[in-house]
Amino acid sequence: MSTPAPTPAAAEAEDPGRLEAPKGKRKLSERARAERKLGWLLCAPAAIVMLLVTAYPIGRAIWLSLQKSDLRFPDQSEFIGLSNYVTVLTSSLWWNDVKNTLILTVVSVAIELVLGMLLALAMHRAIFGRGLIRTSSLIPYGIVTVVAAFAWRLAFADAEGGFMPDVLRSVGLIGEGTDPLAQTSTISTFVVAILAEVWKTTPFMALLLLAGLALVSDELHEAAKVDGASTWQRFWRITIPLMKPAILVALLFRTLDAFRIFDTVFILSNNGSNRSVETVSVLGYNTLLSRLNLGLGSAVSVLIFLSVVIIAAVFVKLLGANLDQQTGKS
Amino acid sequence: MRWVTAGAIAAYAALVLAACGGDQSAGGPVKLQFWAYNEPSGSFRSAAESCTKDSGGRYEISFQPLANDADTQRQSLVRRLAAEDSSIDIMSMDVVWTAEFAEAGWAAQWPDDLARQIKDESLAGPYETATYQDKLYAAPANSNTQLLWYRKSLVQGEPPETWDELIDTAAKMDKAGRIEIQGAAYEGMTVWFNSLVESAGGKILKGPQEADPGPSWTRAANIIAKLANSQAADPSLSSQKEDQNRIAFEAGDAAFQVNYPFIYPSAADVSEKFQNDIGWAPYPAVEKGKPSKAPIGGFNFGVGAFSKNKDEAFAATQCLRNEKNQKVAAAEGGLPPTIAKVYEDETFREDYPFADLIRKQIENGAVRPQTPAYADLSLAVATTLSPPGRIEGEEAREELEDKIEKALKSEGLL
Amino acid sequence: MTDRSTDKLFGWFSVNLVVVIAALFPVAWILSLSLKSSDTVTDGRLIPAKWSFENYTGIFTGSGGDVFTKALINSLGIATIATIIAVTLAAMAAYAIARLNFPGKRVILTAALAIAMFPPISVVGPLYDLWRTLGLFDTWQGLIIPYMTFTLPLAIYVLSAFFREIPWELEQAAQVDGATPFQAFRKIIVPLAAPGVFTTAILVFIFAWNDFVFAISLTSTEKAQTVPAAISSFTGASQFSAPTGSIAAAAIVVTIPIVIMVLIFQRRIVAGLTAGAVKG
Repeated sequence: MSTPAPTPAAAEAEDPGRLEAPKGKRKLSERARAERKLGWLLCAPAAIVMLLVTAYPIGRAIWLSLQKSDLRFPDQSEFIGLSNYVTVLTSSLWWNDVKNTLILTVVSVAIELVLGMLLALAMHRAIFGRGLIRTSSLIPYGIVTVVAAFAWRLAFADAEGGFMPDVLRSVGLIGEGTDPLAQTSTISTFVVAILAEVWKTTPFMALLLLAGLALVSDELHEAAKVDGASTWQRFWRITIPLMKPAILVALLFRTLDAFRIFDTVFILSNNGSNRSVETVSVLGYNTLLSRLNLGLGSAVSVLIFLSVVIIAAVFVKLLGANLDQQTGKS
Repeated sequence: MRWVTAGAIAAYAALVLAACGGDQSAGGPVKLQFWAYNEPSGSFRSAAESCTKDSGGRYEISFQPLANDADTQRQSLVRRLAAEDSSIDIMSMDVVWTAEFAEAGWAAQWPDDLARQIKDESLAGPYETATYQDKLYAAPANSNTQLLWYRKSLVQGEPPETWDELIDTAAKMDKAGRIEIQGAAYEGMTVWFNSLVESAGGKILKGPQEADPGPSWTRAANIIAKLANSQAADPSLSSQKEDQNRIAFEAGDAAFQVNYPFIYPSAADVSEKFQNDIGWAPYPAVEKGKPSKAPIGGFNFGVGAFSKNKDEAFAATQCLRNEKNQKVAAAEGGLPPTIAKVYEDETFREDYPFADLIRKQIENGAVRPQTPAYADLSLAVATTLSPPGRIEGEEAREELEDKIEKALKSEGLL
Repeated sequence: MTDRSTDKLFGWFSVNLVVVIAALFPVAWILSLSLKSSDTVTDGRLIPAKWSFENYTGIFTGSGGDVFTKALINSLGIATIATIIAVTLAAMAAYAIARLNFPGKRVILTAALAIAMFPPISVVGPLYDLWRTLGLFDTWQGLIIPYMTFTLPLAIYVLSAFFREIPWELEQAAQVDGATPFQAFRKIIVPLAAPGVFTTAILVFIFAWNDFVFAISLTSTEKAQTVPAAISSFTGASQFSAPTGSIAAAAIVVTIPIVIMVLIFQRRIVAGLTAGAVKG
């Protein structure tokens, strides 16, 4: 950290409401101006790096997506307008992958929300073993995603000697001679992908929810208890409404994260060769970096980017409405 | 501010250190990097060593292993070649990459005198795989082909000759009557389809940019579908590659296997009895009495277009694939040679009792389509036909035609 | 003890058990695979029939040679450097955000939030294209740059949340007591800020250690390939054979440091994750 002489004003800057300089005060004091300069100076490196490494490439992706640009045919590059987008949007493969991505996202986030809530409650209220629960649930969070995906693939792939096919067969969940990760077994491949994703990210969801749980005061619960509310009622009427912002934030993070799912699917599908669970990110990767078709691939990238923006906008709106509602009430 | 400065300096120093990796030292032998898949018997590595020694100080070849799976190898080479990486002096190229690498200007064209030499000593099929528009872009190093392997104890009488016979025979057997073949959505699927098409008398392409759809395509798709929907199909067919086939065959689940000869030495690890029970027959035909056109695989060695020492690289490449080194690769790694003379070698014939059959198949094999868009074309074929049995008949032909046309123009998502 | 509380205890005991098993089972399976000998690796048994360390010796010394060792060094080096830079830049920004009054603060925070949601696949293509012309493809810097960028938002949020909690007036108090500004900073602020910085560093490191998309797209040889990318292209014993045992062993090797880190720093990690998400 740098060591500027602390300013009295800064000590009070904890309150986000004080961020803006008071209006109507045209001339800033010497000190305020110095503070401003220092603030910009300190933020500049981070801001510049973030801008350069995200804004510039996304701009370039947009530009590339309007070109015919295939590194294997370097002489054939030309401007072709929106036709890459037409190609992508009229391709059944793109829509199929969008569908796969949405299924994976919605189902796994929904399951994570339920399991994460249970896990958060367990961490919050456990009489003993709280540390144990926390430690063991952090392990999936910390494990390299690729490694986790391999664990699931090697457990379920009949072709690679996994033990799960035999287990599933013995309880009759899959037929004799079915490989749960074969391309023909679309449903079970989805199930395994969802399992892997849920296993890996439920702890993160739980931690986000735990932070929300901590904000729910015990007094309210006690008061409701006195009034004769059951545990279930208290959970639905007190805990959930108070946690709503935390839940929305957790959902936002996880939904966006799940929507760009790549590692798990790439590994589970044997480096992308089982295409029954292919997601948009894997499609983008294949087009860009295996086919080296930068034009078409960039169109896919830009479309993924737009989808993410839309999802984020919807959540932010929900969240905003929710916060307004809450502040309106109080 | 000291803290920050110190941190920044440390980080910068680390960056600079990271940047200073690998340099060419002046003087002494020219250093050449040879990028190839890590041939498990180590024959590529030892070839690099012996050629270094034989060069008498002219060059020094260092072996740099690539991944084993061909798609991954291609990706890592191609990304670096597109970045004009001069550290790729010599590279092993799958026989299907020649057109792509030549067209994009990634593989150096061979000088005429060297090209003629190579043509004279190589088998015709493998030589053709190394050319694009009649010019040589690589030297054939090893070839490969698939045979029909079967369990002698399970198959009565003569092994089946055609695909129909094979599927019918296998379907009549019990559980152990399965046929092991590559059905995953990857290049192996294209290999299968191409051989079927050529065996049926057709071709996938007329020219580098032109498809050649016809009844042979329909026929080929129907055979794949027939196998996939029959009793004889492995339940994992749609995710099987060469090695999963080998494992299933070794586990005793199958009576037949269509695969490369690497499965034979591996069978000895199960038991000698098991290896002795394995019989081999020519790659199945489409029509009875009309010999099949089996897949031709293998690798050629090319010289990187951005290499700074091309002359030495050409010389080194010639050495790496010379008769002596091909003999070693054949004896130790079981890689079928591309130089005709090696097939007469006694040790090779001992280890490969099927040497004559392999040579015959390689000489009359089905060379895969030679187009710069091969990777896309292969993806188009593999995804259309996957999972095997999904599509057949006219429908298959039409969908393939549409996807292949687009792939050839590098259009369309695949 | 009443029956009810015994029931309750038993209930919580079961909850603990379920969580532990669920969290550890896949790891246990990979561990078991990694200890199987090559001829039994595909036998589908839960417990190895024949115990063997051959997979471990294989990845460090086998014919694939130093691929894995080099990848491990790359992973460590790249993740460490990216962490140092990201935390340094983020600490500067977070200090300004937590303590100084200046317009544009909101913009920085919003931009950081936007980048936290950014899909990496959208920049990986242009970055490849850019790196190949700048000569950064397949180099350490080529990965360090995206890693530090994509961890900056998290780092800024976590650090500014921590910095807001620091009682900065202590520093002034010390100065009033005669300490020089530097002494005050070093003796008072550094110890207070260190846990936050450390927590952030752990989170950033985990991100960089974990990444796969950038690693497989922007590297291709042992010069800069990190462990996740190396594992995904591991080679088997023959041209066509699957490297299951080596994958399992390598997976265990990269998991160990994470497990140790989680065990030692679990409180910090939890605090960091929740601080970044909620207070930010």
